[in-house]
Amino acid sequence: MAEWLFEILSEEIPSRMQKEAQAQLKALTESSLKENELSFENIRTFVTPRRLTVAVNGLPLQTGERTEEKKGPRIDAPQAAIEGFLKTANVRREDCEVKETSKGSFLFVTIKKTSCPTQKILSQVALSLLEQFRWPKSMRWGSLSLSWVRPLRGLLNIFEGEIVPLSYAGLEASNKTHGHRFLAFPSFIVESFKDYQKKLKDHFVILDWEERRVLIQKEITRLAQESDLVLFKDESLLDEVAGLVEWPVGLKGKVDPHFMTLPPEVITTPMRVHQRYFPLSDSKGNLAPAFGIIANIETRDFGKTIITGNERVLRARLEDAQFFWEQDQKKPLQSFNTTLKTRLFHQQLGSIFDKVERLIKLSSRIAEKVGVDSNTVSRAALLSKADLASLMVGEFPELQGIMGRYYAHAQGEVSEVSQAIEEHYWPKVSGGPIPEAAPSLILAMADRMDTLIGFFTIGVTPSGSKDPFALRRAGLSLIALSLNPYFSLSMVEALSWAYETYPWSELSPSLLKNKEEALHDLWQFLLERFKFTLRNGQGSPYDHVDAVLAVADTNPTFSDLALRVQALDQLMDGKDGQNLLIAYKRTSNILRIEEEKDKQTYAGNVREHILKASAEKALFMSLLEKSPHIQELLTQRNFIKAVQGLATLRPTVDQFFDEVVVNTEEEEIRTNRLHLLALLRNTLHQVADFSKIEG
Amino acid sequence: MKTDFQTVILKLQEFWSQKGCVLLQPYDAEVGAGTFHPATTLKALGPTPWRAAYVQPSRRPADGRYGKNPNRLYRHHQYQVILKPSPQDVQDIYLESLKYIGFDPLLHDIRFVEDDWESPTLGASGLGWEVWADGQEITQFTYFQQVGGFPCNPISAELTYGLERLVQVLQGIENIYDLDWNGAEGNARMTYGDVALQMEQEFSAFSFEQVDAPMIFRHFEDAETLCRHLVKNKLVLPAYEYCLKASHLFNLLDARGVLSVTERANIIGRVRSLARQCCELWMENSHHG
Repeated sequence: MAEWLFEILSEEIPSRMQKEAQAQLKALTESSLKENELSFENIRTFVTPRRLTVAVNGLPLQTGERTEEKKGPRIDAPQAAIEGFLKTANVRREDCEVKETSKGSFLFVTIKKTSCPTQKILSQVALSLLEQFRWPKSMRWGSLSLSWVRPLRGLLNIFEGEIVPLSYAGLEASNKTHGHRFLAFPSFIVESFKDYQKKLKDHFVILDWEERRVLIQKEITRLAQESDLVLFKDESLLDEVAGLVEWPVGLKGKVDPHFMTLPPEVITTPMRVHQRYFPLSDSKGNLAPAFGIIANIETRDFGKTIITGNERVLRARLEDAQFFWEQDQKKPLQSFNTTLKTRLFHQQLGSIFDKVERLIKLSSRIAEKVGVDSNTVSRAALLSKADLASLMVGEFPELQGIMGRYYAHAQGEVSEVSQAIEEHYWPKVSGGPIPEAAPSLILAMADRMDTLIGFFTIGVTPSGSKDPFALRRAGLSLIALSLNPYFSLSMVEALSWAYETYPWSELSPSLLKNKEEALHDLWQFLLERFKFTLRNGQGSPYDHVDAVLAVADTNPTFSDLALRVQALDQLMDGKDGQNLLIAYKRTSNILRIEEEKDKQTYAGNVREHILKASAEKALFMSLLEKSPHIQELLTQRNFIKAVQGLATLRPTVDQFFDEVVVNTEEEEIRTNRLHLLALLRNTLHQVADFSKIEG
Repeated sequence: MKTDFQTVILKLQEFWSQKGCVLLQPYDAEVGAGTFHPATTLKALGPTPWRAAYVQPSRRPADGRYGKNPNRLYRHHQYQVILKPSPQDVQDIYLESLKYIGFDPLLHDIRFVEDDWESPTLGASGLGWEVWADGQEITQFTYFQQVGGFPCNPISAELTYGLERLVQVLQGIENIYDLDWNGAEGNARMTYGDVALQMEQEFSAFSFEQVDAPMIFRHFEDAETLCRHLVKNKLVLPAYEYCLKASHLFNLLDARGVLSVTERANIIGRVRSLARQCCELWMENSHHG
């Protein structure tokens, strides 16, 4: 069995695109080989900053001879169709035979495929990979009209060590490639994948992304341990750096001690975000005056020049930061709000300062409703966006909220206020931490509500892939925040307050949706996010959420809804739930048919003295006893117990269906039994509308 | 090897001259970057091959720091190279140029870090990298994809060396003002500060304190009007010069902090429209020979 190796050498590929490219190359190779009917054992793909490589083994040396029958048009099809078929199949009319099918007489032709050397097919496969590959962003270069992520510089294409001919982008495939850009200049010949991987290593290139990542982590850990330090966990930085170097070499730089009085985030942000350095900490988790650098080269001075240079760059950045830190604190935090008056939130929705003023009103109102000190919340709201106008956040936007917290703390704000300034931006990423303190939580929710209702009222809503104001994220964040059970807040009501804080009368009404419309649209949008959140979070299927939503009050809280859905999930996971569902479907089928026939709705008015069979009596007693209890549990928001209450109905329900015939001759008994079924339906509906559940 | 500021410039001139570039002088109007020089912006459009190199003093009024910040300048110097079409081995040529000015790539850590370039005022964009030496950005390396809203064909490679930062790395100097400018000894020795400090101080004061915003805004409108007039009369180079003036006047207003977000976006849009018209006219002319 034979091996194919194809390396696409290019100028530096952006790190963030590499992992996806590796996966895409694998998928494309697989489909292309299958399309060309080439069997293989496995496909491996690799990516470095400069190369994208695929190695396939277990290929045949050549494809076998085989025949393939092709179906053509009906014999009475128009001449043009027949000629078209003959042309594509490259056969004459007399080569075809006519076969009868259930749909008439059709032309068929048997094509003999001769054996073909795999090498020849691989030329085609390689070309199709280059042509079909899609980068998130690509470019043209020179005088060529094709595009790639960055200019292509070489094609290594060998099958069993022999060159597979290929011309693309002015390049001819060869059996040679280059190693490290500086450490190994001349190109070298490659004979096989094993040879390739080994020679790359000899030429200072580690082909495997994972291997580089592991090595980087080891290098930094080693450097840290030398000074009894540890590496801060930062997976995304490791990922990024693994895509920046072909030959990772760890070096340790020092931070001038006088910068260590700056807040740690101010030091680590330029390190990580701008310079891709790894911050180090002592065993207690305090930031240490040292950092790890991953260079792409080993030098004869053991990295001395590189360390000095990097320290100089960091020093310059920290000097700026020091200056901003001092300047920003020369005036009270609130005074930055003046600048926010000229910063636009949105053309129609006013300045950021306008938003701040709305947040003060909205968050106080929510605080009062849920019994939290509104002075703390409104103070935090007043200062929530001030740091956006600070020099530090101007330079390091990642520090928004964090600087606000430091500056507020420094000017003596109470800790709930300074904390809320930082935490009202949480969750920063999907699945990120949710604030625990009530003022933070309220402000975080108010901020999202204000944004969402504003944009929904002016009709700016996400559509397809377009969501320039990140409203989907805001919606998901609002739901994540609302799942907090510390206090319950009716979302629809709070959103209507958010609507009311906008001075809509100052805007032209023709451009706006009215309150009901805006709230309706936003509510539907949030329900979609809610379903999505529950499915991803607790694995609730969409139909469970629908079943709960169908019976929930008009002003539900997301936390209650989530708990109800969770309870329903549990019920439906077990046998009780599945049996109840079957019973429910039977019940509602019977009711539907009989109600249609009788032209009336059965409400559950069971007359006890007419009950005859013991099974129907038992069911009635059971419903009579349990229904108020379930209702009470629901009011107490004890959803699990309420659902368990439903589950206990199961034996009597099963017994009823086993022993009782609903449609009896005696009309009075029949009607009464239909009422009994309606009572059962109503009881189940207290918890969820089971008709929405699939199964 | 000598690494003073002017020797580095001389070396770069020598190197790129050997690579077949036309050596040009800086454009004699205020610009924010070497890209704005018509030898780059306009020449990047149309089918005609072109290679040029020049120093371009670049003014960024908002970056003025009264000569007090060791890394930021009101006016810095760029060494600009434009190669059209971009050669197959352009990265190698660039790295060769670094060696030529005294950079040992086996001692430093040189990287190409993704950075897609965009100029909203020119309606131009490209893909490429920041080139880092030991964590310091020393060059912006861009393959122009579009200028003035028009797609480029063929594609030019643009290399913009930040001369101050490059020489900082070469000399291992922390503060720009301490850079050796002329490589001379004793009384003849000149530092960057000796040559440029006064300009930094005075132009910082000018742009942050003395810019008369209403007057500059009138100048902006005049430049805009004149540019449009010149476009109508098919005088592309003078028209483009007034587009550059409008752009610089916008930078002055921006540094003065008098523009609201909306006004700012609006003015950027107006400059972009001027640039687009100039480019359109340039394209028309280039098609007619």
